[in-house]
Amino acid sequence: MQEVVVLGVGMHRFGKTGDAIVGNKSVTELCRAAVDMALKDAGVSWRQIEAVSAASSRFSGGKGWGLNGNDIVEDMGSTGIPVYNLSAGCAAGGNAFNIGYSLVAGGIHDMVLVVGGEVMPKGMIQTSGLDDVNDPEYLRQRCVGMPGPTFWSTLARRRMYDYGTTEEQMAKVTVKARQCAVGNPYARFQKAVTVEEVLASPYVSDPLRLFEICPVSNGAAAAIICSAAMARRFTRKPITVATSTVATISFDDALPRSLAGPVPSGPSFHTEAKSAVMRAFERSGIGPSEISFTELQDNTCYYELAFPEEWGLCAEGEAERLVEAGETAPTGRMPINPSGGFVSFGEATTAMGVFQIAELTWQLRGEAGARQVPNARVGLAQTNGLGGNATAAILKR
Amino acid sequence: MSTLREPCVPGLFSEENGASLLGARCRCCGTPYFPTPSHCRSPDCAGSDLEPQAFSGGGVLWSYSVANFPPPPPHQFDAPFKPYVIGVVDLDQGLRVVGQMIGAAADMRVGARVDLVIDPIYHEDGKAFTSWKFRLA
Repeated sequence: MQEVVVLGVGMHRFGKTGDAIVGNKSVTELCRAAVDMALKDAGVSWRQIEAVSAASSRFSGGKGWGLNGNDIVEDMGSTGIPVYNLSAGCAAGGNAFNIGYSLVAGGIHDMVLVVGGEVMPKGMIQTSGLDDVNDPEYLRQRCVGMPGPTFWSTLARRRMYDYGTTEEQMAKVTVKARQCAVGNPYARFQKAVTVEEVLASPYVSDPLRLFEICPVSNGAAAAIICSAAMARRFTRKPITVATSTVATISFDDALPRSLAGPVPSGPSFHTEAKSAVMRAFERSGIGPSEISFTELQDNTCYYELAFPEEWGLCAEGEAERLVEAGETAPTGRMPINPSGGFVSFGEATTAMGVFQIAELTWQLRGEAGARQVPNARVGLAQTNGLGGNATAAILKR
Repeated sequence: MSTLREPCVPGLFSEENGASLLGARCRCCGTPYFPTPSHCRSPDCAGSDLEPQAFSGGGVLWSYSVANFPPPPPHQFDAPFKPYVIGVVDLDQGLRVVGQMIGAAADMRVGARVDLVIDPIYHEDGKAFTSWKFRLA
């Protein structure tokens, strides 16, 4: 295996259709901005890119077939390079990074562009587009009616029962996230909020409130990755990809993905995310105690409480206390989502795995400004996606 | 005159002789299923021998959430929209199943005993379209 490094990253600030940030830009325009920035950051020309690993969107561009990578290559100039379009729901950006990483690590290509972007439809994501009784998503919406956020609120409610988590403690996660985003020029929301403001925002799905759930956003992110040998031609300070992993959900997961499942014999929460992260620790030989900071998929503030415990970043039932003590802030003992996270960016679904790689890279270079994690040496990234998908990556300097 | 009741999806549940969900169980490994798949999906089960099983009776509320806003189609509801509770219930027969709860969020408690019922979720063309729900016991 070749050692893989991140040579350059780029991002288009996240926004909402029609606003002053993204206006009516197409997904290809957003990606173009991110790719141009990443190429410039890497000091690489478009002609030097040997392959593209792209997160495919179901919502925008992609010729209606999720071929977003092909749109980008056409826009940048058709050089005849191979394009891989990866589909994994909200984990697609992480999957695209994993395939790009695998292509370079395996010696198939030396210089690969990884990109994800999205122009999202308004409102709650409609999970099933099919009118088909054989589609479990259709049955779940037709027979029960479960808007996306109810997954998160069901898990959050269970945590409140298991650990006595309060609504105020969950609000404090959002306050921390939004405080981080004040210093992030790419975040959609760059204003701090108070606990009172969070608790005054309406329930989207009780016990989770509007400010505790990520909205949908438009945005894009890109990363240029290459072999460590090739990187020496471009930089003396590349960021090393210690590993990149992909996993899917286990049969005994606590939450039925369709209508029902067997009652699990013990706690089995978020099995896809845990599996991806545990594989990343195992493959990289880097343990949770060596992680300087984490960018995890905070579709809701609940995940910032549950995930660090499940991955061994802190002890079981300890997360609320760490949040209240400021230990999850960039200057704390266990920094989580110094970027501001999905709660501050909104989710441009397929961009998110690449967005995390960009933030990890900036942090590890010491270029993160007001949100910088002091002496960041090793960063962990994690995404989750519809269908039981998850990814993880560990980057180090 | 009583309103005609019709299942929102036919063949998934029954209200004859009490409410039940029409699923299956694997004779080889005992895994319960709802709805019925074509074969046993447990990665630990080498065989696959599904027999029909009707799930009914009581269970425990494992957790719950609230739909404070209407979900997108294909969900249908009676206007004006009223928030409803969605339960995740561990039936005594070993099945963890999602379903709407009858009653307000304030009355729900994790760990509460509940019963399976069949109840309307919306009305259209003079008919009540039903689904399975749970009611606090």
